[in-house]
Amino acid sequence: MTSVSIHDTGALFQIAEPTDQRRAQRRPGRGIGIDLGTTNSLVALAPHGAAPRVLRDSSGSGLVPSVVAYTADPPLVGRAAQALQAEHPAQVVSSVKRLMGRGLADITFAHPYHLSEETPGLLRLDIGSADAPRRVTPTEVSAAILRELKLRAEAELGEPCDGAVITVPAYFDDAQRQATRDAGRIAGLQVYRLLAEPTAAALAYGLDRGGEGLFAVYDLGGGTFDVSILRLHKGVFQVLATGGDSALGGDDFDRALAAHLLKKSGVAEPSRHQLDGARLAARAAKERLTEETVTRVTLAGLPELELTRGEFEALIEPLAQRTLRACRQALKDAGLRAPELDGVVLVGGSTRVPKVRELVAEAFKRPPLADIDPDEVVAWGAAIQADILSGSAREGVTLLDVVPLSLGLETMGGIVEKIIPRNATIPIAARQVFTNYAEHQTGMVIHVVQGERELARDCRSLARFDLKGIPRLPPSMARVEVTFQLDADALLTVSARELMTGVRQSVEVKPTYGLSEEEVDRLVMDSLDHAGDDYARRNAAEARVELGRVVLALRTALAEVGHLRELLPDDERARLEAALAAADAAMADPDALADPLNRARTALEKVSEPFARRRMERALNAGMAGKSLHDIERALADDEALHEKRAGHTPELLEPEEP
Amino acid sequence: MPSLTVTSRAAKVMRDQLARRGTPQACIRLGIRGGGCTGYSYLFEFEDKPPRANDLVVEQDGVKVVVDPKSLFYLDGTEVDFETGIRGHGFKFKNPNTKDACGCGESISF
Repeated sequence: MTSVSIHDTGALFQIAEPTDQRRAQRRPGRGIGIDLGTTNSLVALAPHGAAPRVLRDSSGSGLVPSVVAYTADPPLVGRAAQALQAEHPAQVVSSVKRLMGRGLADITFAHPYHLSEETPGLLRLDIGSADAPRRVTPTEVSAAILRELKLRAEAELGEPCDGAVITVPAYFDDAQRQATRDAGRIAGLQVYRLLAEPTAAALAYGLDRGGEGLFAVYDLGGGTFDVSILRLHKGVFQVLATGGDSALGGDDFDRALAAHLLKKSGVAEPSRHQLDGARLAARAAKERLTEETVTRVTLAGLPELELTRGEFEALIEPLAQRTLRACRQALKDAGLRAPELDGVVLVGGSTRVPKVRELVAEAFKRPPLADIDPDEVVAWGAAIQADILSGSAREGVTLLDVVPLSLGLETMGGIVEKIIPRNATIPIAARQVFTNYAEHQTGMVIHVVQGERELARDCRSLARFDLKGIPRLPPSMARVEVTFQLDADALLTVSARELMTGVRQSVEVKPTYGLSEEEVDRLVMDSLDHAGDDYARRNAAEARVELGRVVLALRTALAEVGHLRELLPDDERARLEAALAAADAAMADPDALADPLNRARTALEKVSEPFARRRMERALNAGMAGKSLHDIERALADDEALHEKRAGHTPELLEPEEP
Repeated sequence: MPSLTVTSRAAKVMRDQLARRGTPQACIRLGIRGGGCTGYSYLFEFEDKPPRANDLVVEQDGVKVVVDPKSLFYLDGTEVDFETGIRGHGFKFKNPNTKDACGCGESISF
């Protein structure tokens, strides 16, 4: 029996417009890339395959301080907001990224805000004045920054932008990612997708073009340090390990240098004012020492000092060594040694410091990639990704609006169960529940295939993994939920979860990797040419699985109770054995069609029916002894529920994440 | 030989809709698509491209309905009709390949 079911509401149908014209309308060239940072944010464009370009303000700066001042309505963002920080500390919010997606219990670090959490998990910052209390969520604050960046991009584009790629740290959890997504939506942006910051940096250097590789991304910003180890496999980046220090950055270099300068000037107890002045001077000197080996520094009211690069490097070396320890740990977590890496990418303004570069090169045993401005490299990658997702044609990249070939799983008998059908619009997610075939089965091979043919061996094999730890349950009782999720970038995530134990396993693949348009056409045409054949072979494979199931169930019953004469008289046993032998014979022919297999099954079911009935009666009698009618009724109801559970396994489309 | 029939009543509505759409020469494509929310579903749409080599083309009163060979296995013998009733107006597929409908009538299986 072909057990496909058609969705039919008994309903009346209308003729629809062709599928390819109903695709989501994208606007090529109008995607923007946003690096939403803790200290600074950037927006970049790379329209129609152009090289990425960070948008700058009139002073030439591409960095927009991630600061929002609620002193006006709408709030001020960036440098203008920063200027108000000293005067209105309560109304000016900075570093809000650290609060994104967090509850009050998560905030273990020092911060200057008045926080409240009336709804669990929903943090609010008090930004009102004494006479006008007002509270905002971190998401709203981030939205204000995003809105400013969007306006900047639209002024440049001269038209509304279509959507954005926003970068997030690789270690952001689901709640932090969702909060970032929400911020984008509040800002009026269609968030194409969130992109891990290290992945964005790797994309900026075009490291994805090689298809395969192992990379480290060293990100030393003003206040934080992150290191990520990435694996590129068949065009997909995967974060193998992350590490870092959330309280270590270029600001610490400035502090160390300022203390040194004050000491050199003989100032033992600097005033607040002197300290601030020394920090600014230290920062400027640090930047000069990137190019020069010696520089002069003047602190207000004190004689001029000479500062060498060597002095500076001695000061920061202990700090830089701390970052290297984190790098070694990340490599260890990823199970790699430095020589196995194919490249190291530098991110963050503090990686301009020559000593840092030198130490990174030593630690990773190779010169790091540093051609792209390390402040802008993440925004570059986001802009490239956004341009692709807006539908622009870029060299070597094809973006798909629809699934070019069906995606499915191999099930018993080599039959393909399609989960995501060809031509479905992406992003899309679907899930289906599968069951075990045999009682002793404690694992399930998840074989992901692509194509239109009915048997797995005629399809493209995309990935294969084992789900282990399925509890021992009677056939059809274990429930494994398999979810296929295809994101806007055509990245497929297949995850399998056993519903009773919760064990899960997943894999990411890029179904389009190494697939040309001609190949797609050929595979589709093949399936049409083989339609008749495939149909017969699928039926045969299904008949074989069904027959195998009946044979297995019967052999199990025979082994358990076959020796009891009252259940199975000798002559009946002989007939049963004969039918089993006939079934074995039918299955022995590897090319058997559905008909002989189905005939063998019907015969076997018929001849074993009295034996099955007697087993059932015996089980019922044993079960009913000493039980009330109520118990029996309840057991029957349970049985019915069970039956329903076993029956329902057809794919179920999941609600898309974005409306 | 697999077949599909289109009633005159259905053909007339198709012809009217094609004319209103400004594409009187276009075809109507009927097919079966995997997926849908409870399994397989019908695909029923205007087809602006000419029929493909392997398509079954059924012509009724000047309207062409095309079916790809794969879908035809599930559609063989189907009659496409047009109904008007209290549930609204629309096309009805009388498909003999559907075996049993479940209680709610939501899904059927072959």
